[in-house]
Amino acid sequence: MAPSRTRTIKNKHAANGSGIKGSKQSRNDRNAIPDGVLKAKKDPSGKSRAPPPNVKGRPNIAEILKKRKRRVYTEKELGILELNKITPVGVAKSKGTKKGKVFVDDRESMNTILAIVQAEKEGQIESKMMKARQLEEIREARKAEEEKKAAERKERMDETKDSLRKKRKRPQGGSGKDDGDGDKINIRHIAITGSKAAKPKPAKKRVSFAPEE
Amino acid sequence: MRPLTEPETKTVFAKLANYCSDLKTLIAPLDDGDRYVLRLNHSRVYYVRLSIANMATSVARDQLLSLGTCLGKLTKTGKFRLHITALPILAEHARHKIWVKENGAQPFLYGSNVVKAHVGRWSEDCPEHSGVVVFSMADIPLGFGVTARSTAEARRLDPTGVVCFRQADCGEYLRDEDTLFAG
Repeated sequence: MAPSRTRTIKNKHAANGSGIKGSKQSRNDRNAIPDGVLKAKKDPSGKSRAPPPNVKGRPNIAEILKKRKRRVYTEKELGILELNKITPVGVAKSKGTKKGKVFVDDRESMNTILAIVQAEKEGQIESKMMKARQLEEIREARKAEEEKKAAERKERMDETKDSLRKKRKRPQGGSGKDDGDGDKINIRHIAITGSKAAKPKPAKKRVSFAPEE
Repeated sequence: MRPLTEPETKTVFAKLANYCSDLKTLIAPLDDGDRYVLRLNHSRVYYVRLSIANMATSVARDQLLSLGTCLGKLTKTGKFRLHITALPILAEHARHKIWVKENGAQPFLYGSNVVKAHVGRWSEDCPEHSGVVVFSMADIPLGFGVTARSTAEARRLDPTGVVCFRQADCGEYLRDEDTLFAG
């Protein structure tokens, strides 16, 4: 238990009535200010002090605080998950809207729909056409390239033919007889295959067994 | 009979836009102040004058067989199928055209696709898989279909190659007589 503090009373007979603590008089005079000195007392309940008296021309703060209502948040604002109810969440319809189908019969709305649809279709067709044109261009380019390659090949062939013809004429003029036979085979081979890449191999020797007697 | 909803109108116009280049003239106001509207009855879409559509409201729905021009049928999956009855409207505003020779008209009217050998002439710059109206050489509309090849590709095609897949032809008036207007 905490020790009780003693209070020194300077002149107990003068102000505090009888001077006895629990006497009737002292109880009556409790609120009176002794010696003109007022000690600050702590409120035991912890409540704020009584509001200061109204000052003219200034609004009362307490009243303002009372007036300002606390904002009430809806469930949507708080982001609380919706629970299943009797009517499912998605099905619930807002009140006031028309029940059933909404018809389109006036010219303006029909025109709007028409314009949207037509713009979409035009875009689709245009993109299709662009794609087709690009593909066609690629095809044309490929075709031209192939033609060019074919022409080149033909030209090379003609050149080799010409060169071979010239070569054939030369040996008849002056070269030895030994070369003639080998060259002939070679030329024939080139003429058939169209290239000088591989020389013809000499005929393979074949071995055959004589039939048994 | 009721007007079309927004998605229904969109679907119908999207299908028509495959074949027609200018759709605005379809719903443009007429000289006498009247205009054409789209109406739905028994899942069939009708292209009809507003005054006639208003008059038709006095006929019970189950008693009303047809009014105006039947464009086609809205399927249960929400798609739209053009009928041969829409041919006069498509032919008038056609985006791409194919003219078939005399020898190709009959096979087409009997329900076969258009082969290259039967084509007399066709619109230039026609892309693949786009709607096309088929005409005879005398400019009589015979039906409509979808191109199988673009014009450039079709040039290289052999004579038996298909250039247009048939969607509807005038022969349907006889072949599908029972189901064309009802059922």
